[in-house]
Amino acid sequence: MFVICAGLLVIIALLGAPLFVVILAASILGFISADVDLSVIAIELYRITDTPILLALPLFTFAGYLLAEGKTSDRLVSLSQAFLGWMPSGLAIVSFFTCAFFTAFTGASGVTIVAVGALLYPALKQEGYSDKFSLGLVTTSGSLGLLIPPSLPLILFAIIAQQMGYGEQVSIKDLFVAGLIPAALMILLLSFYSLWENRSAPIAKQPFSWPVALSTIKKARWEIPLPFFVLGGIYSGFFAISDAAAATVIYVIIMEFFLYKEIPLRRLPDIMRDSMMMVGGILLILAVSLAFTNFLVDAEIPMQLFHVIQSNIESKIVFLLLLNIILLALGAILDIFSSLIIMIPLILPVAIGYGIDPIHLGIMFLANMQIGYFTPPVGMNLFIASYRFNKPILELYRATIPFMLVLMVALLLITFIPSLTLMFIR
Amino acid sequence: MNTTFNDAVKQCIHRLHSFEDWVLVAMLGSMILLATTQILLRNLFDTGIFWGDSLLRIMVLWIALIGATVATRSNNHIRIDLISRMLPPLAQRFTATLTFLFTSTVCITTAHYSLEFIRYEYEDQTLAFAQVPTWICQSILPVAFSLMGLRFFLQGLLSALGKEIPQGGL
Repeated sequence: MFVICAGLLVIIALLGAPLFVVILAASILGFISADVDLSVIAIELYRITDTPILLALPLFTFAGYLLAEGKTSDRLVSLSQAFLGWMPSGLAIVSFFTCAFFTAFTGASGVTIVAVGALLYPALKQEGYSDKFSLGLVTTSGSLGLLIPPSLPLILFAIIAQQMGYGEQVSIKDLFVAGLIPAALMILLLSFYSLWENRSAPIAKQPFSWPVALSTIKKARWEIPLPFFVLGGIYSGFFAISDAAAATVIYVIIMEFFLYKEIPLRRLPDIMRDSMMMVGGILLILAVSLAFTNFLVDAEIPMQLFHVIQSNIESKIVFLLLLNIILLALGAILDIFSSLIIMIPLILPVAIGYGIDPIHLGIMFLANMQIGYFTPPVGMNLFIASYRFNKPILELYRATIPFMLVLMVALLLITFIPSLTLMFIR
Repeated sequence: MNTTFNDAVKQCIHRLHSFEDWVLVAMLGSMILLATTQILLRNLFDTGIFWGDSLLRIMVLWIALIGATVATRSNNHIRIDLISRMLPPLAQRFTATLTFLFTSTVCITTAHYSLEFIRYEYEDQTLAFAQVPTWICQSILPVAFSLMGLRFFLQGLLSALGKEIPQGGL
């Protein structure tokens, strides 16, 4: 009976029922089989009001939507081009930096490809990079920056871990530090690859010029303080994470509507609504999965899972490799928020059982998801890029594969050298 | 006769949409203001609104549920959807109808049981913060889930009839 119901739910999920409904139905079935009164569902849903840091999610999302709406992407590209463009493969490196920064603030919802990639793609081709390389680069970079604070998936991982009672080990502040070196490693490896790939391409270097650099600084003068303000506030302990989120919103509103004046004020309600639709979708899944996680924990399913896995896999290395493969596949099928919400409650206790640090697991998880975004056949960035640049999807598969291999190397390093993530926090 | 009825329905949907949009925008706006006020009070005057943080957390729930309800207008939810793309059109229509009706049933069930939960809370008269009873804070649960259930049901009917969801959603 249980197996039949579970099977039916999986089919309904694959047929396209909203994920929150599938999880909700699963927990309803679970409660019925445990003979619990169903009004407990409402109690579980209401429990999301117990988590203070959730406030950061709508606020950062709204700020990200505002940044994506304005011309921040233009200024960011010209700023980094002025400072990094003199290097060999300069524009490629510029692209990595810009995309990573933009994604960190806007979340990897595909907006990076649309807003920044669309500027960079023609520019890259014009400078003499091949079409295939440029296309692969902008598609891959669309999710670069997931590990850089204040990205929403990082915050969400901390929220879930804290709700499971691992709050002591997983603080947002530590997580924000932990992602920096792995993110830098990814950018570094990608830059080396770009140098190697374009070693004989006819690319002109742009000489560095102070007047140009100063004028780009002047143009981006309101954006440049933003990361220092947000991250400085958090790292120094002046801001709690939700305070930082509120301060970011206020800063971005003042910047976009009163200093740059580039978004008309009447657009504000629409941007607010659209961003909150996305927040609603994510938080609803989070809320229903709280009910489901509770059911799982009561049924001791993570523990049973651990015992099953441990009796088959003794070595931590094999476990980690297997985990990476599963997560890569998952990241290609599911969007990052639902994968986090569904998988972390199952995986985290198992990983801790193998002696893996929860922060290390979180960074590894997100690194996998980042690659999943452009893993064929269904990675989301592939479709967004195909749509945006009007290219057949097969061409995108071919273009992204070399970048994917480079990032897999980074992933392996992140997985098997825990000190890359933990060196500044443990 | 038929067109006036159609117009009346359209007008109703339009009013509901504007009302939802308005509530959502007002909620987010006041949440930003309240959160900022709290920061300023805490850091500058070493004080704060006593119930402010509780209210903020409840606003997050309301924004989440209203946002999800608004997203349901055009069925804009996170989903996996691997099979249906590969099905022939008629089978697609059939499975879509089935999925919508299932989704609607789950939402209505949730709405029903959250209403029951609220009834208990109403009888107990517990307070969420200040003088505000908990059941008022929870009242968004049945409202949002009923609206979502209704929308999914109507979308199921549309797909059974082989029609698209109209522009701007239901």
